[in-house]
Amino acid sequence: MLKRSLLMLVVLTLLVSATVSANTITLNFLEVMTSPERTALLRDLIAEYEAMNPSIKINLISPPYEQADQKATLMLNTNQDLDIIEIRDYTVKQFVNNKKLTDLTPYYEAWSEAETLTPVAIAAAKTVDDTPYLVPQAIFIKALYARTDVLAEYGITEMPETVEELIEICRQITDPSKNQYGFAWRGKGATMKFGDLFASVCVDDVANSEFIYSEDETFFLDPGFKQGMEAYITLFKEGTPPDGINWGFNEQVNGFVSGTTPFLIQDPDAIPLINNLLGEDKYEVVPLPVGPHDFTLIDYGFCGMGIPSYSKHKEEAWNFIQWISSAEKNGYFNEHWGPLPVHRTTFDINEHFQGKHYQAYRYEMANPDTFLLKTYPLASAKWPGWDVVYETDVQSVLLGRMTLDQMLQKWTDYWTK
Amino acid sequence: MKLLLRTLKVLLLGLFLVVALGPLYWVIVTSLKGGQEIYTFPIRYWPSEVTFENYKYLFRISDFSIYFKNSLLISLLASAGALLISVFSGYALSRIRSRRPKLILLLGMYFTQIIPTYMLMSPLFISLAKIGMTDSLIAITFVYVSMMIAFSTIMAKSFFDRIPVALEEVAMTDGCTRTQTIVKVVLPLTLPGLAAIFSFAFVNIWNELFLAVMLLSSNHNMTVPVALNSFISKAGVNWGVLSAGIVVALLPTMLVFAFAQRYIIMGLTEGAVKG
Amino acid sequence: MREQSARYFFLIMIPAFVLLTLFLYYPIIQGTVIAFQKYTLFDMTNTPFIGFDNFKAIFTDINFNFGQIMLNTLIWVCVSLALQFVLGFILALLMQKPFRGRGIYSSLVFYPWALSGFAIGLVWAWIFNGQFGLVNDILLRLGLISNPVGFLSNPSYAMASVIVANIWYGVPFFAIMLLAALQSVPAELMEAGKIDGAGPLRRLFSITIPYIKPTIISTTLLRTMWIMNFPDIIYAMTGGGPSNSTNILATQMINKILKFYDYGQGSAFGVVIMVLLFTYALLYLRLTSGKEETF
Repeated sequence: MLKRSLLMLVVLTLLVSATVSANTITLNFLEVMTSPERTALLRDLIAEYEAMNPSIKINLISPPYEQADQKATLMLNTNQDLDIIEIRDYTVKQFVNNKKLTDLTPYYEAWSEAETLTPVAIAAAKTVDDTPYLVPQAIFIKALYARTDVLAEYGITEMPETVEELIEICRQITDPSKNQYGFAWRGKGATMKFGDLFASVCVDDVANSEFIYSEDETFFLDPGFKQGMEAYITLFKEGTPPDGINWGFNEQVNGFVSGTTPFLIQDPDAIPLINNLLGEDKYEVVPLPVGPHDFTLIDYGFCGMGIPSYSKHKEEAWNFIQWISSAEKNGYFNEHWGPLPVHRTTFDINEHFQGKHYQAYRYEMANPDTFLLKTYPLASAKWPGWDVVYETDVQSVLLGRMTLDQMLQKWTDYWTK
Repeated sequence: MKLLLRTLKVLLLGLFLVVALGPLYWVIVTSLKGGQEIYTFPIRYWPSEVTFENYKYLFRISDFSIYFKNSLLISLLASAGALLISVFSGYALSRIRSRRPKLILLLGMYFTQIIPTYMLMSPLFISLAKIGMTDSLIAITFVYVSMMIAFSTIMAKSFFDRIPVALEEVAMTDGCTRTQTIVKVVLPLTLPGLAAIFSFAFVNIWNELFLAVMLLSSNHNMTVPVALNSFISKAGVNWGVLSAGIVVALLPTMLVFAFAQRYIIMGLTEGAVKG
Repeated sequence: MREQSARYFFLIMIPAFVLLTLFLYYPIIQGTVIAFQKYTLFDMTNTPFIGFDNFKAIFTDINFNFGQIMLNTLIWVCVSLALQFVLGFILALLMQKPFRGRGIYSSLVFYPWALSGFAIGLVWAWIFNGQFGLVNDILLRLGLISNPVGFLSNPSYAMASVIVANIWYGVPFFAIMLLAALQSVPAELMEAGKIDGAGPLRRLFSITIPYIKPTIISTTLLRTMWIMNFPDIIYAMTGGGPSNSTNILATQMINKILKFYDYGQGSAFGVVIMVLLFTYALLYLRLTSGKEETF
């Protein structure tokens, strides 16, 4: 009798504990594009989701931006408990190579809102092997920021539409004795994203190539590329503070906000920052200037969410990703963070993206024949580190330690040998 | 001549102070500025309007008080732990007479100081992951103790080296055990040095960033340097808040220095060696 | 008695070496193995052993001249160390005798050591900014220059600038350690020196320095190791640029790991750093250990 009731008790306890643990599932979510503001934003969204799904708990892991990709890699490669992982342009190929991501094709097929994704977002999702390994959350493309108040003092009210005009205006207003220069140079970190806007746009063939350049096709020895580079160097010598060689994002923004360099090329997530430092009314955002062949390059950066291949809660993870990736939630997320949302429909329903500073970005995306959406060969083994090689070589040329021709030959060798 | 030397000394002391404080002044001023004033040029050396918004924001946007507690706990425990272990290993290293074992042990200590942290990061993470000890404040405390042992031991040894062995022998003939001799005779004589060791270990651990990022994950386990580093994002540095954070993060370390310097300066050894 | 103490010494060192083995020796062996593997994050499914290929690659890298990186490292370490030591020693001597407010003075003058590396780098990057920096602003206001100086963008000044930041950070370490050591110099030794008619400089070199020699040796050796392994300031201020002019072994190691995703070559740089420092430590300890026992 006693034995039987004891056994019953044990069975009951087991059953109860089993149902309790089945009732709440904890999803571990690692973000990488971290900032304290964005983390707070994500936490609010997660709280909203948890309130609607009482059986789900989401544990957000937020390593600082500069170390986040490395942490993500370490955690994935050691199969740490992760169910949702933020992936970005620079890491997607590596994660796929190491077989750490789930192919999301079946989930996409069952997802109604997949249809309203913008072409950029779809391209971003399918960066590797034409297979969607992630659901993009944010798109970064560049536009030209201009300090209209500063430029007006020089009688400039028309914003430049071509690269040539931009360089010309910068040279015109530059006067070192008054500490006035034209362009917020980028000398440190992802510098090719700036240099290529001046050089690659001078190469007609780039329009038909899959990538801006790649192992299969480089344009460095094209006369157009060289001309473009020369113009870019002229811009440095005659329209940029010499200190630009060491400028990263902070210094660029510093130059723009202080008015020293009234032109800046940046992603839309700079808008909240600049609004905070400068206010909304002293600047304008205009489409990127075009090159001699009437096109310019929109190299898009992106980040999105994926599911680790070894996750034990793929369905639950997808449920959350699907929810946060809806046009409404994604719009809300990007409205408060800064970059561009991933659904076409968001631009129509969310007032924020109808605001004046976003018009240039919308215009760029609406005119893909002029603003060619091109990316770097992110899946190439030559890509990691190219950033540093490019930066160092351009610095060497600007300092006269290397000739332009040497650099172009070196780059050709780098990509083709 | 004497007056000249005195003036020179005061001048030099003043110069050291001004150079040391300059950047701190700049950080404090930046932390008191509103967003629109941070990037003005020519530079404003005093905010046109002093605001504490950045400090409020620091505590509002993140759970900074939790991070602060974590850091304080880890740093105190780990530096105390390292000090305790090193008092003994440092003493042993100082008193061992045979040259060869001594050299090998000492090199074993110095060897840990030539290891680049970046090389440790992934092996350490992988090992800790295997035993499920990532994201654990206890595990990282042990890691930090280990990282500080070598430095603390080497320093402790150099302080013990100056204590005449004769003093210990007197104590030991009076019937003290080795351990009692260390605690009662050697430690009091090296108190200033030990205070310096503790404060250095504390400061190093308080500021450690990379291992904390890699080994800790949850928000409730985050430490102060990690939180400060998160104010550097893709969209640049949030200078105002980061500066406020730097100022707040400096307080405990400066307190520890203030506490330690009393012992460093007291010069406790003087009287004892005389007697 | 002798044997007993030897056993005692051995016993009390066990905790230290157990922890060191678990958390430092063992992981670093694993880290060193990677230097002999093709080990890139880009493809972790295939990490074969490739002998010394990673070392060959970093010695012959056309993008980052190894000779220049070595030279930069040498300048970075030697100049930083020498000036940190000399200035720290001067500061310690100035503070040796009590004066009013010495307590407060010491906390204020020592605080740079209490800052974290990345924060120092960021703040000094701003101070030395070639357009909006504090140093330029002050020099312009004083009328000493008419155009801003590119402290970090001009290769002639870049290394000097990052070294200044490093010195600023490192002086307190020497000052505190040497101050603590100075306190232990017996007053009667100094008195005896005075009676013998030795001047202050003479007493410094023939009494004080020999007496605190063990501290000098251990602190300078440790600092050499730390400075060589300290990429934080350079990484934040110049990222090793412009045109590699401030790139040292430690920053290039980070580049290889964080930018090239190449842990193999990154670890190879780590091994180079360790071999250099180990050799240096052996030589240094041998050279500085005279007849009397200093180590």
